[in-house]
Amino acid sequence: MKSYKELPSDAGSNIIGQVTAQANRVQKRLTSVKHTVAIMSGKGGVGKSSLTANLATALTLKGNAVGVVDADINGPTLAKMMGVRNATLTYTPAGVKPAITTLGTKLISMDLLLAEDDAPVLWNAHTQKDAFTWRSTMEVSALREFIADTEWGTLDYLLLDLPPGTDRLPNVVELIPNLGGVIVVTIPSEVSQLIVKKSVTMTRDILNVPIIGIVENMASYVCQHCGEEEHLFVTEEPLDDVFQKISLGAVPFDPRLARASDNGIAYLDEHPDAPASKALIQIAEKVQAFFEGEDLHALPVGAVS
Amino acid sequence: MKFLCTDCDTAMKFKDVTRPEQGSVTALFECPDCFTEIAMFLNPSETQMLKSLDLQLGGTNAAAQPMQMVRSQLETAKSDAMPNEVSPETSASETAEGGKCPFTSVISDAFQEAPEPAEPTGPVWTPEALERLDRIPSFVRPMAKMGIESFAKENGHDEITGTVMDAARGNFPAQF
Repeated sequence: MKSYKELPSDAGSNIIGQVTAQANRVQKRLTSVKHTVAIMSGKGGVGKSSLTANLATALTLKGNAVGVVDADINGPTLAKMMGVRNATLTYTPAGVKPAITTLGTKLISMDLLLAEDDAPVLWNAHTQKDAFTWRSTMEVSALREFIADTEWGTLDYLLLDLPPGTDRLPNVVELIPNLGGVIVVTIPSEVSQLIVKKSVTMTRDILNVPIIGIVENMASYVCQHCGEEEHLFVTEEPLDDVFQKISLGAVPFDPRLARASDNGIAYLDEHPDAPASKALIQIAEKVQAFFEGEDLHALPVGAVS
Repeated sequence: MKFLCTDCDTAMKFKDVTRPEQGSVTALFECPDCFTEIAMFLNPSETQMLKSLDLQLGGTNAAAQPMQMVRSQLETAKSDAMPNEVSPETSASETAEGGKCPFTSVISDAFQEAPEPAEPTGPVWTPEALERLDRIPSFVRPMAKMGIESFAKENGHDEITGTVMDAARGNFPAQF
């Protein structure tokens, strides 16, 4: 009796061919994208999506064509933060036209598809029982379609805002094997830094993806009245030495930034001279420098102009 | 997956696939030498896994359409989430109707549930149960209704009351 390997094909379904075609669609779409950047964090609540929105704005203000994928399929927030929640995605045979912010940044997000504010992402199924066996696969397929089937046009940067945790990055690397780099976001708390180590290990040591750097968000608080900078976290510990070496910068907390996110306003455009804006612009410059081939982490802070 | 006709020692060929019924798909394979057929049944979880990968049993010659999986499988999507771009070539009748809803004109209907065979009678909803049904969020209501009716049928209830709904509640993610 013949063995598995002796049979010529899978009876005509050509599953490998179908999977290869899916991967090719992603690669074909990304041929017009210069750099892909994943933004991740170890844990939730560190301001990763806010950083993604503002980094996209900073890169756009510097003259780059920027697209953003809200890869947090179940907790999408970027459409609101970037002020395009009422945008309509338009379907064409060549691809889906993304939402575009007033500054020209393009965005695809599950939030743009959901029926109501309180509608969760629910997939069509005969039963939702045992959905744990297939829901993650559905989410990865949705992410693949977001990347491959959005009409991005020519982009300098495509930013992917990942959900909290380390589990989604391997999926992204499978979809984008030549992922340009990863930015890891943390806050000055021991809890966050404990978890962020796992993200660094996953990125650098297991997936062999370059780490562009770490951003320390909510690093301090600038008093609105006297301008003095205070620590936001009482139990603040300095960044681990290893993290210091790969730091892209620290962004101070600014209530106006949170408000701008809630209102879908570009904070950098509204408050260009605020300390947080300056920090975000400097981070954007370092990201550009990274892709221009500079040895980013050998540079002293502020050396990139 | 590969299938072998053990009598002929020949690889079987894909022949046909049914649309899901009760969440289960049936695929037929045939031996090209002796024409023996076998049926492979996928349980609902296996069917759903195939759907989630956006793969077609038996292969496909059609080019994939943009976001075909999300467009066809997102249960909680708004009805006008992704309207077709209206081009000058679009027919007047189409625009007069407001364009075709992409969620009802999905490219491949291979994974759309086959219609339930018509039954002379089904469980009857009491006014109290209907009122409770109306309180379920609109985006999950059709699924909940179908599930409750299915639960009532399976458990021999001719009438859907609040008690039946309470008994069915454990089977669904939505609370009602």
